Amino acid sequence: MATLITHSPILIIAIPLVAAFLTPLIGMAGSKARNTLVVVSLTFVAFLVFALARDVVANGIRVYTLGSASPSLTIPPGSMVPVRIILEVDAMSIFFGIIWAIVSLAAAMFSLSHIADETGQNRFYTLLLLMVTGGFGMMFTGDLFNLFVFLEIASISGGALIAFRTRSADTQEGGFKYIVVSAIAGLMILFATGLLYAQYNSLNMATLAHVIQFTASDKIALALLLVAFTMKTGMVPLHLWFPDAYSVAPASITGMLVITSHACMYAAFRVCFTLYGGVIDGLVVGWIIVITGLLTMFVGVTMAVFQKDVMRFMSYHAISQLGYMWVGVGVGLAVLGTPELGTYGRDAMTGGIFHILNHAMYKPLLFFTGGALFHCTGTRDLAKMGGLAHKMKWTAILYIIGTLSISGLPPLNGFSSKILIYESVYRFHPILTMTGIIVSILTLASFTKAFHSAFMGAELPEYEKVREVPRSMIIGMVILAAGIVFITLFPAQVVGWILRPAANALIDQGAYINAVMGAIP
Amino acid sequence: MERVLLNFPFVAAALLVGISLYIIIFKRNLIKLIMGISMMASGVNLFLVALGYRAEGNAPIYTEVPAGRMVLPVPQALTLTSIVINVAVLALMLTMVIQIYRHTGSLDAEKSRRMKG
Amino acid sequence: MTFILESGYSFWNPLVWIILFLVMMVLIYFFRRQGQEKYKKDTEQAQIFLCGAEVPAPGERHIRVGNIYWGFFETLKEYYNQILKLHTGIINDYVAWFVAVTAITAVILLMAGLGK
Repeated sequence: MATLITHSPILIIAIPLVAAFLTPLIGMAGSKARNTLVVVSLTFVAFLVFALARDVVANGIRVYTLGSASPSLTIPPGSMVPVRIILEVDAMSIFFGIIWAIVSLAAAMFSLSHIADETGQNRFYTLLLLMVTGGFGMMFTGDLFNLFVFLEIASISGGALIAFRTRSADTQEGGFKYIVVSAIAGLMILFATGLLYAQYNSLNMATLAHVIQFTASDKIALALLLVAFTMKTGMVPLHLWFPDAYSVAPASITGMLVITSHACMYAAFRVCFTLYGGVIDGLVVGWIIVITGLLTMFVGVTMAVFQKDVMRFMSYHAISQLGYMWVGVGVGLAVLGTPELGTYGRDAMTGGIFHILNHAMYKPLLFFTGGALFHCTGTRDLAKMGGLAHKMKWTAILYIIGTLSISGLPPLNGFSSKILIYESVYRFHPILTMTGIIVSILTLASFTKAFHSAFMGAELPEYEKVREVPRSMIIGMVILAAGIVFITLFPAQVVGWILRPAANALIDQGAYINAVMGAIP
Repeated sequence: MERVLLNFPFVAAALLVGISLYIIIFKRNLIKLIMGISMMASGVNLFLVALGYRAEGNAPIYTEVPAGRMVLPVPQALTLTSIVINVAVLALMLTMVIQIYRHTGSLDAEKSRRMKG
Repeated sequence: MTFILESGYSFWNPLVWIILFLVMMVLIYFFRRQGQEKYKKDTEQAQIFLCGAEVPAPGERHIRVGNIYWGFFETLKEYYNQILKLHTGIINDYVAWFVAVTAITAVILLMAGLGK
């Protein structure tokens, strides 16, 4: 077991990668064998993630040096700086890893019947597992160039999956927009990596953080990295590609794309807090992040109220919810290094990170219910739906759980993270809390509208033959709903176990550096 | 004069990225847009390779190396990886454009906007 | 095992709400059971009554999504006109936004450093 945990950072990345390329091979033996492979490998990865999480919370940061005699030997003998690729897992990384493990498992379960009628399923699962690899890589890597590589792995497989249903034109358009945006963001990240490498001759984030100066070209690199990751996250005004891509993808993939967006958010936080943590002009960058967050919340929700396409409507809500996390963590960045950090900054960051966890549970769930509606009715247009609660009771109940949670109605989990955010950011600036509450009200209003038009009313004659969705889709949704119920019941335990350590890991830049540079004071 | 010559690749890289941004923003033909992205990739790759260059350096291969400085090997490794990734991105974008053309019969970005608002 | 989540300013306990919720459910069930004595199932009492007018078919009487919150959109018409103009759906504009925001952020960061 100890050996397994020692090697788990690389195993978590490698197992989906190996499984991805085994999938077409096993797929020749039949779809049942292939589905078993996908589900078993993802379950095993989830098990490893939880084991690693327990270890990281108890014993602190775990590093894994690729290609060295011992995984903890970050700096080779006779050298002053780390030259090998290093995976570095702290509480923040493993927190995102947990989310990604749960959601990818639920999405794979959901796909089993959501995709069952399509051709090219072997390729679908290959790409899905590659996307899982890319996501885990982004979360665990301690190397700036590696981050770019894993980002591109996730983007390329994600783009291909968005365009998976080639029979209609809008999927191709959404996939094309996604891949163009990803390619440009990725190139800008590479450019910024080059700028940093030119000055400090290193790609390792801990080493860079140790020596970084914040010169003019560092500032340009920061702007490039921050805005590129912001674009990949989908913040206003760079959100325009987001609903286009998310609304056309198969629903299981949309659920996973939400988490790749969170992974890009993680990368942005990592850049601000760890890479530039010691030298950053926290107030300026913090305010930039907070203002982007406010814009995102407001524009996202007002656009969502307007939508008539069920998946597009939910994508705009995903954008709007991203704003809460951005505001929470942005306030933490703005007060970094001042006494206010202790009084409310840490709580704001914990709230923002808590909201990431909640969003990662209810948003894929809502996307899955949207996918279930599409699966049964063959349309995404809310104007054509009605009275579906008569036939799809499970979907309707799960939709209600997701709705109450996203709107932040007590006692569901959305409320517990929102109250943490509201009360702490209020002391930074009251306008943040006010916007948050207005956005929350509009969220509830628009979800009520969608619920009414899709589920309520008398049974419509055109949907007489509609049946409840197959069991594996329900299982996929129930996994996420169970997560919601668990967090609802035990908010304090969840916050104490993983969220406060995650926020502290983000603030404590020194520990991240020391884990790699240990020998050098 | 030598400084100017050494900085020349960076000017070229900046020009490439600048021109490609112009193409991506103002050309509405999807194939031209892909060309722009490919050009931008070349610009960034040129920047990376130029970073690693040292005046009169040797290739960074340790067997039978002549005396003197070596160029940095890391940027070259980065460039190779980046080229591979860009080939994949390019291929994927081109397949999608083929599909878009099949469905809509047009390569105009203004016509390929079923989704807006 | 404490259920209390400290938010630094106040606290939040889901158990209290859940218990309150259950009590309310019991009360609602109790009142509902009192009910109307004259109500009979499957008679014309259960039919929809629309001031004597003929009741439209299920497909026609369902309020579709486009008709909900009409007043809200009417009030915010100007805002929606402006914001919808930004969502052009053209990929070139998406990149233009990216370049503009990057430039602005870089300028802000460089300017902020000048004062010190």
